[in-house]
Formats: sequence, C-alpha cells, structure tokens
Amino acid sequence: MPTAMKTTREVKGVGLAIPRPDGPEKVTGGTEYVADLKPKGMLHAKLLRSPHAHARIKRIDTSKAKALPGVRAILTARDIPTLKRKAPTRAHAVLAIDRVVFVGQPVAAVAADELAIAEEALDLIEVEYEVLPAAVDPLASMQPGAPPVAEAGTEADTSEALAHSGVAAAKSEAGPPKAVNIAQQAKLQRGDVAKAFAESDVVIEKTYRVPMVHQGYLEPHAVLAQWDRNGLLTLWASTQGSFNTRSEVADILGLEENQVRVVPVECGGGFGGKIRALCEPITAALARATGRPVRYVMTRREELEAGNPAPQVIIKLKTGVKRDGTLMALEGETIVESGAFSGAVLTMGAVFLASVYKWPTFEVRGFEVLTHKPSIAAYRAPTAPHTFFAVDSQMELLARALGVDAVEFRLRHLMAEGDPMANGQKWQSNGARQVLERIAEHPLWKNRAAWSATSGQDGHGLCGTGLALGGWIPGLQPTGATVRLNPDGSLGVLTGQVDIAGTNIALAQIAASAYGIDLDKVRITTGDTDVAPMTGLSAGSKTIYTVGTAVLEAARDARRQTLEIAAGEMEAAVEDLEIEEGRVVVRGVPGKGVTLASIGKKGNLYMSKVPPVLGVSHPAFAVQAPAFAAELARIEVDPDTGETTIHDFVVVQDAGKAINPLGVEGQMQGGAVQSIGIALTEAMTFDASGRLTNPSLLDYRKLTAADLPNIETIIVEVPAPAGPFGARGVGEPPIVPAPAALANAVHDAIGVRLTELPLSPERIALALAATRA
Amino acid sequence: MRRFELAVPQKIEECLAVLAQRGPDARVVAGGTDLLPQLKNHLLKPACVIDLSGLADLRVLERDSGRGFRIGAAVTARALEQHAGIRAAYPALAESAALVGSVQIRNLATLGGNMCNAAPSADMAPPLMALEAEAVIAGPRGRRRVPVTEFFVGVHRTVLAPDELLLEFTVPAPVPRGGGSYLRHTPRRELDIAVVGVASEVVLTDGVCGTARIALAAVAPTPVRATAAEQALVGQPLTPAAIERASELAVQAARPIDDQRGSAEFRRHLVRVLTRRTLTRALQRASGGS
Amino acid sequence: MRKHALGCTVNDEPVEVLVQPYDTLLDALREELRLTGPKEGCGTGDCGACTVHLDGKPVASCLVLAMQARGRAVRTIEGLAKSGDLHPLQDAFVRHGVPQCGFCIPGVLMAAAAVLADHPRPTEAQIRYGIAGNLCRCTGYTKMITAIAEAAAAAPAARS
Repeated sequence: MPTAMKTTREVKGVGLAIPRPDGPEKVTGGTEYVADLKPKGMLHAKLLRSPHAHARIKRIDTSKAKALPGVRAILTARDIPTLKRKAPTRAHAVLAIDRVVFVGQPVAAVAADELAIAEEALDLIEVEYEVLPAAVDPLASMQPGAPPVAEAGTEADTSEALAHSGVAAAKSEAGPPKAVNIAQQAKLQRGDVAKAFAESDVVIEKTYRVPMVHQGYLEPHAVLAQWDRNGLLTLWASTQGSFNTRSEVADILGLEENQVRVVPVECGGGFGGKIRALCEPITAALARATGRPVRYVMTRREELEAGNPAPQVIIKLKTGVKRDGTLMALEGETIVESGAFSGAVLTMGAVFLASVYKWPTFEVRGFEVLTHKPSIAAYRAPTAPHTFFAVDSQMELLARALGVDAVEFRLRHLMAEGDPMANGQKWQSNGARQVLERIAEHPLWKNRAAWSATSGQDGHGLCGTGLALGGWIPGLQPTGATVRLNPDGSLGVLTGQVDIAGTNIALAQIAASAYGIDLDKVRITTGDTDVAPMTGLSAGSKTIYTVGTAVLEAARDARRQTLEIAAGEMEAAVEDLEIEEGRVVVRGVPGKGVTLASIGKKGNLYMSKVPPVLGVSHPAFAVQAPAFAAELARIEVDPDTGETTIHDFVVVQDAGKAINPLGVEGQMQGGAVQSIGIALTEAMTFDASGRLTNPSLLDYRKLTAADLPNIETIIVEVPAPAGPFGARGVGEPPIVPAPAALANAVHDAIGVRLTELPLSPERIALALAATRA
Repeated sequence: MRRFELAVPQKIEECLAVLAQRGPDARVVAGGTDLLPQLKNHLLKPACVIDLSGLADLRVLERDSGRGFRIGAAVTARALEQHAGIRAAYPALAESAALVGSVQIRNLATLGGNMCNAAPSADMAPPLMALEAEAVIAGPRGRRRVPVTEFFVGVHRTVLAPDELLLEFTVPAPVPRGGGSYLRHTPRRELDIAVVGVASEVVLTDGVCGTARIALAAVAPTPVRATAAEQALVGQPLTPAAIERASELAVQAARPIDDQRGSAEFRRHLVRVLTRRTLTRALQRASGGS
Repeated sequence: MRKHALGCTVNDEPVEVLVQPYDTLLDALREELRLTGPKEGCGTGDCGACTVHLDGKPVASCLVLAMQARGRAVRTIEGLAKSGDLHPLQDAFVRHGVPQCGFCIPGVLMAAAAVLADHPRPTEAQIRYGIAGNLCRCTGYTKMITAIAEAAAAAPAARS
C-alpha cells in the first residue's frame, strides 16, 4: 500500500510518485468494465457483418432468424429511420443501407437471450449480395476510374483532426478532388523548391510506408444500453469521452442530448480507438426494439476486422542539402489511407513533415484516400509515428551522406520557439532540443562505436544503435471541474474526465497542492453526463494540461471562498490567511485559526448563513504546449533469421512538470512499447479482395514481455508556460520516435536502410541476403 | 460459439461408441486450444463435442518395454516440456513442446491435439517424424499403428477416420551417440506460430553420420521429411561443409507458399538456416554436448 | 440444450452450478458465478486476460469448456490472496503503479503467481517468459517485471 502521503507545506501533492488509489481494486479483479455488468433481463447482441469488401445488397431476409426461439429482435437499416445514405462519419453508418463498403461492415443486428442463440440467428439471416469491384490498394484507389467508396457527394470528416490535434488545418487545395476516392487534399508550400534542389549538393529521395495498425486496447469495445419508460436512454460505455459519445448517439438516433445519459465505465484502454461511437448506436436501437437492457461486446476478431484502426501512410520524401550541411529543399507527399470512411488527421502529418527542421523551401502535398477497408480513427498521436519515421530516417541518411554527427546535424537545424511551422503557425516553447541533447549524453549513445565493434564477436550478431526525435502538439478542448469542501474538511473534486491511465490521481495532486490540503483528504470522481461538468476527450495528451487547469482553478476558487469565509469569522484579511494542517490560520499567528471542517460544516447546516464552498472552473484554451520525446535503441540482429533483439531502450521525454512521475513513466514505457510494435512486428495485412488475413492476436503481433527489455525513462522538465505547474501532455510523444530510432539502429547494424514497416525478420533477412548476393 | 451437445465419456470404449454413433457430426476436444478457436470462428459447427478429459489412459507418459516412451494423446505440451525423461531422451520433442503458444496454452494443448489438428506448422510434428514415432489409433475395427511419417494426409487432414480416436504415440528408444534438436522461426519469442520449423536427429557411427533424419514444418501442406538432405549426410563426417550441403538439399523438400506469416522465399531461406542450426546442435548432442 | 451440473472447487469453495454444454470455464465463472475478475480479451487464448489456475496451473479459461473443470480446482484473481489482504504480488503491483487501464492485470497476476510457484527466485527471463502469454497494451511491462521480481525477493525463501 502507498506509504503515508503526508507532504511538505510547499508541495501538497504535485511532483510526488504516488500510486493510484484504485490500484487495489484493479489488482483484485474488483474493477468493473462494461462486460462485467449484467442487469436482470439482459439480452446479448451480435451483428451480421459483410463478407465482401464491396457489394450491393440485393435482398435481406430475416424471417428464419426471427423464428428461432430466444431471438428477441432483428434489425436492418430499414428499421432505423434516422440513418442517412450519405453517412457523414463511420459512426453514422450503423447498418449498411444498400451497399457494403468493407469486410466486416454491419448489415443486420440481433438481440437474443443467449449469445449462442444470437450467433445461430446470424446463420439464418439470408443476404443476397452482388459483389462489386473493390478498391483495396490506396495508390490504385487514387486513380480516376477506381471503384468508388463513398456515396457521391459525401463530405470529408475532419472532426477527428479538429478534436484531436493542435495544428490548424492547412488550406485545402483549390478545386475539386481529381479522383473519386480522394476525400481530402492539403498543400503547403514555401519558396522555390526546384531552384533549391538545383543548388543542392546531396539529394536523397525515399518512400516510407507504414501499414494499418490497430490500437490494440485489451478490452474490446463494449456497451450496455437500457431505456426507461420515459424514453431516456442510458449507455454504460467503454469510451474515451462520455460527452462525445452522447452527442454522436443522440445525433444518429435523432434524440435530444438530455435524453441520453452516458455512464463512462472503466475503460480497458482506448489509445484513440474509443473516441468515436462504434457499437453504441446499434445497441441502443436493439434495446429500444426489445424494451430490455442489451449488452454488446465485440469479439477480438470483430475488433481487428471492423474496428477503427490507424491508417496506412505512404510518404514520399525528397530532401536536398549543401555539402556544408545547409538545408535547402524538401518535397513531400503523404498519402493517408482512411479505409471506407473519411476521418484522417491529414494536416498533422503534412505539417510535421516540414515543421521539425528548418527547411527554407518546401512543397508538401497530402491526400486522404478512401479504400474498401475498415475505416480508421485516431491512434495515439495520429500519423506522427509515421511522419517522424520518414523525417528522422531522412535526417539520419543526410547526416550519413554528409559524414557529420547525426545528433549535431539535427540540433543545428531543429526548429525552436517562435520558428514558423509549415503552416505559418509559430512553435510554442518546447523541449525538443533538451530531450535530444539529453539522450545524446546517454552512455549507450556515447559508447555506440564500441557496441558496433562487438558485431560478429563472441557469438554476437550484427550490433547497432539508433535514436530519433518525435513529438506531438497536444490537443486543446474546453472542460470543467468543481471542487467542493465537505462538512468534515475533506475535498470532493468532480470532472467528467474518463480516467484510463491513472490521470485522476494526478488531478487530485493538483487539487491538493492548489487548495493547500493533504492528498489523502482529496477524493476525485468521474461523473456521468448527467452530473459532470462538460468535459472533453481523454485523448490528445490533454487531460493534465486542460482538465488539470480546470481542477487547479476550481481548487483555487474553493480556496479563495474558504479563506473569505474564514476571514469573516476571524476578522482578518484574506491576504494574511494560510491553510495549514486542515486549518485556516493567520500567517505568523499559529494559535489563531478555524478548521476546514467547521467551515465545511456551516455550509450544510440548517439556517446557516455561510454558503457552501464550491469552486468552479470551466476554461477554454488557446495556448499550445508541444511535447517531445527522444528514443534510443541498442540492438542486435541475427544475420541469418533477421530477428532483432532489443538489448536496451531509452525514452527521454519533456513532461513540462511531472505531476506524478509514476504515471508519467508508465506513459513513456507503454507508449514506447506500442511504438516498438509498430516498428518491428505489427501490421494489419489484407489480401487482394480486401479481407484481413491476420484477424487474431496470434497473427496480429503485439509485443510480449519476452520480446522486450526494461524501458529506461528519463524525464526532462521544460515548463509549459500555460500548463498547470508547468505540466505538458505526456501520453502521445513516446509513441512517436521508435520507428525511426529502430530503422536507424537497424541501418547501423546491417548497413541497409529499410523504409517499410514493420522491420520484420523477413525484411531484414532478405535485405541482408540481397547484399550478399 | 454455436450450440452443441457435450459427451463426457469416462472410458475409451464409451468414447468410441459415441464416435461410432455421431461420427462426422462430432468433434473430440482435449486441450481445446485448436478446437475452440475454430468453433468460435465458426470454421466448424459440430452438433456434438466429445470431451476426452475423463479418459485417463490418454494421459499415459511412461517408458515402454523397448525403453522408448509411450506418450498419451492427451499429454500436454507443458508436461512434455518439463518431463525429465523426455528432455533427456528426446530433446527435440521437449524443445518443440516448449515453443507451443504460451504457458497458459501449453498447460492445455496436447500432443494428440497438435497432431490431429494437422496444421502444416504443428511444432511437435517434425520431432516425432524425425524420431520415427508411431501413432496408436483405436476404432471400431480395433487398434492400428501408423508411422507418424504417414499420419498426415493434407492441411488439417490425417489418416484418422471419423469413428477413430488417437490414443498415443510410441517413440523408439534413444540411440547411443544420437542427438536431436528442434528450432523454429517466429517474429515473436512466444505466442506465435512457426514460420518454419525444423527438427534434426543424427546418430554417429564410427565418427561419421550413421543416420540422419530431418523434418520440416510450415513449408508444405503437411510436415515433411527432407529425405534428400538426410541421404546426403549418411556415411559422411558431419563437417560444417556437409551440414551446409544438407541444408541446401533440405530446401528441395520444401514447397512453401506465401501467406501472412511469411513469403515462400523467406521460408526457403529459413529452411536452409534452421536445418544448418539444428544439425549442428544435434551433432553437438550426439557428441556428448548438451 | 440440456444443461450440465458442474461440480468443482472455485477459490477453495466447493461449487455446483448448471452450465450449458458450450459454456467455457470463463463463461461459467463470469456469467454464472459472477467472478468477473478474469477477462475476455480475445476468446482464442492469444491474450492471457482470462488466465486462471486449474489444479494449480495457469490456463486460458476461454479455451476450457466449463464441464472440463469437473472435479478440479479453479482459482481466479478473486482467490489469489488467501486472506483479505493483498497477495504480495498484488501489493507490489499497486505500489509500483503497474495498473493503467487494468484490463490485463488479473490475468498477468495469475501468470505471475504461477511463475513464482515454479521459480521462487525467478530470473528476469523467467519472469518475462512466464508472463509472455499475457498481452498488456498500456504499461510496456517494465513496472510489472520490477514488481514481480520485488515480490519474489521479499517472499520467504521456502515458498511452496
């Protein structure tokens, strides 16, 4: 159990490595997730999903399935009148209307007494399909004449980009898209690129590819829906944002938002994949049709085949430099494959390509391309690992070509506060330089030559070291919090923020420090959408930065109210008062004071004239706090099998201020390992017909404990000017650098540059075999 | 899963009776690690599932009269991995058992299940083939013995008839100056399926290779023996050059396909690498190394 | 379908419960006995979230038919600590701040307990391979490994 949480007067909580208070519940199996809920009379839902990537639905006959005993409802699109043919988002495409556009798209829904009965009902639903040509390859899908994915006239969905990222959208290129499956285009340009390339001494051009990967949260999507007799819908959901879920479900089902209550049940991981509604609307529709509570839990196979993974990204990058290392020109094209529905954070990728290092001239084009595959959503720093894979692989190649130190080359050209990003927006204060400088001081980097020299010695394989930089501009979203003084002098903090990773303990630490009370007197609650202040998503690395600010301000507000009440009682000036050991005292007069409990009690006494203390804050935000990490890998490659062993892995990250270092380290380690997975083993693979060929966690290879070393963490603190106690977002940066760091390490080890992820044993072994041939 | 009936026989005769009655509609379950995913993914929809966990005879694991081993079909991979006698007598088999799935899987997965599922990638098949084990099968017409090399018929297909039950394997006694090894390649260290698996067994006779047996997994519709490579070694000193030559020849036995786990080209490459490595380790063991 | 009577012990208590022939052990524990600590992360034995001990050995309970547990001893995360206190592994997981989303944690702890039963003083590799059947997406495993090693080191040497 946590040791005593008594803290110093200066620091009531912020900066302490404190375990989360719900830890004991989580380690004993006591924490309840949606699938653990089972109200009386509950039915089980299953969805009939399309076996085809692209087909016209000619006929659906549910009569045999309806006749199966134990089946309580079967719905098709015609049973949900609010569905639109031009679904503006994937969430709106609840059931296919007359065309299916990816394998796994829901076509019909069943609610039954037992899961096995619901599954048997699926077998009895007859669907006649007319199979149509499918657009499976994104490059082919961009060509005129490709089989169309969206209904003509469907608008691109840019809400993800707006919700998630902190970069203003780049201007879309004028004129209509050239091809039917290009949903969005972006173009960024500065200077005369052609002239700058002509003046360059070294020009390097590469194409980088990152396949679709899945967020991989351990808890599949799950929801429990129940209606009451007044037509009020309650959803117990595994969501990263209960208010977002409420808005989407209300919109899709044509309800007022105050007819929907979303209870955010403990979320078993999201990483961006549980932002958008996916199975909530159909489950609510089944519950309405049956008048019973209905629970739907996606299978892992459904998650992989029909979740909303991260896009495939193909980046063409051409860079020119002078022999003295002067950057001259960058030309880039980023193609983001979004699957069957628009929703890519296109602009982030495009902007970052030319915004990390100071390219005086550049031309970057971005395309969001639709294909007949599962549509994509956010995944922890959406498209940033992909983009930095290209950016920092390319910087390494340039440094090698010039024969200069790879870190010094990066530091020389790194953008800093005030420098213009590719979209003209100025970089805010950040720690990019500091994390890069810090990781270059690491003994593993300084001793990399000695490690390389062990290649082939004493049974070693090919040894190498690599590093890379990566970052993200965390999102901003309005939020709210209240802080209440209880009659016993303890504090109650209320937000609507879904706590996935352990953010509530950090918010409580902020409240304790801001109010001036010991942490063990603070209890924080995540409320449902009926009771909590409006709160944004647990996404975009913004919980501590934004909700933390709201909690900070609400706690300060509560403190001010407390002091004002005490000032009246003690006939002292507010400025002379201090909260100490649970009492309000006059500074320098230790004997004189009133307890917080007495103030709290008067706020709840019959006939009392003392108002209850209720601190409130509901801020909106304008100032960004970019967040950077650098990662280093020391590896060994088996030259025959191509297997990579990571011996050491280091993450250096700027947290601004680590409110709870335990939680920050957890984010760094977890993010790094997801990133290593993208780099080495993870890929959703599709056959030519658009069918996922690895729909299980056996073949979709997330890394196991046996594949990894301990992840060393080094926290750097470059305070964010507007962050609570200087804190910046920490969730996303650590997933960004590893692909480039590992590609650089593999290059160092085997002497070959690989530009397509994952850096699988097969790719490495065959690349090595090719050099020998 | 779709609904099914469950039979829980307590004797082999009872089990055979159910099989005789339900035959093609029935599936037996031992560890369940292959069958249940197939049921859950609706690849199979049997009306009846027969649980073998009541059949203690299927868990026999003991030396037979010829000082080889009888290994019951329901002996788990974990039991083989940890059994001192198996580890000493048949290191390749113990190594292959230790590579199946994860510890949670190995505590369930059985040798018989691994063989009857008849995946081309079955890890425990190459060692049994290289050891020239025999399968003992019970059916309505009594018992029969089938060499493991003839056990597989195709992808997920064996010589077992719908009314037959695999009882056990008999593995010949280990030979002095003999040694074996199994290695496979997977992108992950655990929780993975062989991209290629190779088992090699060699026996040294008067300083040269007296016997060599090499079996390959995941490079053909069934696990296969690399006979040309074997023959090239017999009578030769097991020099690195001879091993290298045999490894090249082993590739000829492979008829790999491209799939999500690896390309045919990579699989051929791995056959060469893993044959070389398993032969080298088998030689070390035959020479008294561990 | 005819329901079967499953008799076994769960967390040292004898239980008798009616199950469907097609129920898995995980289904019976979660839906019938309402022991929801074991989780279903994949249903096909590839993630370890459903890990329970069957006769003392860790198994993927999503791949065991409920009736296959007849006459056997089942232990779930709810029964890991023999008394009301936390098991040393649970205590170490809390102190090291291991759980993030927490969904994998019950399975990881049951696998870790099996590692310590086999290896009272495990090496890092034994710990890593022992929990390699348990996927975790949040933590990167580092704090888990530290916590398991610490719990092992703190236990009396003669752990049974």
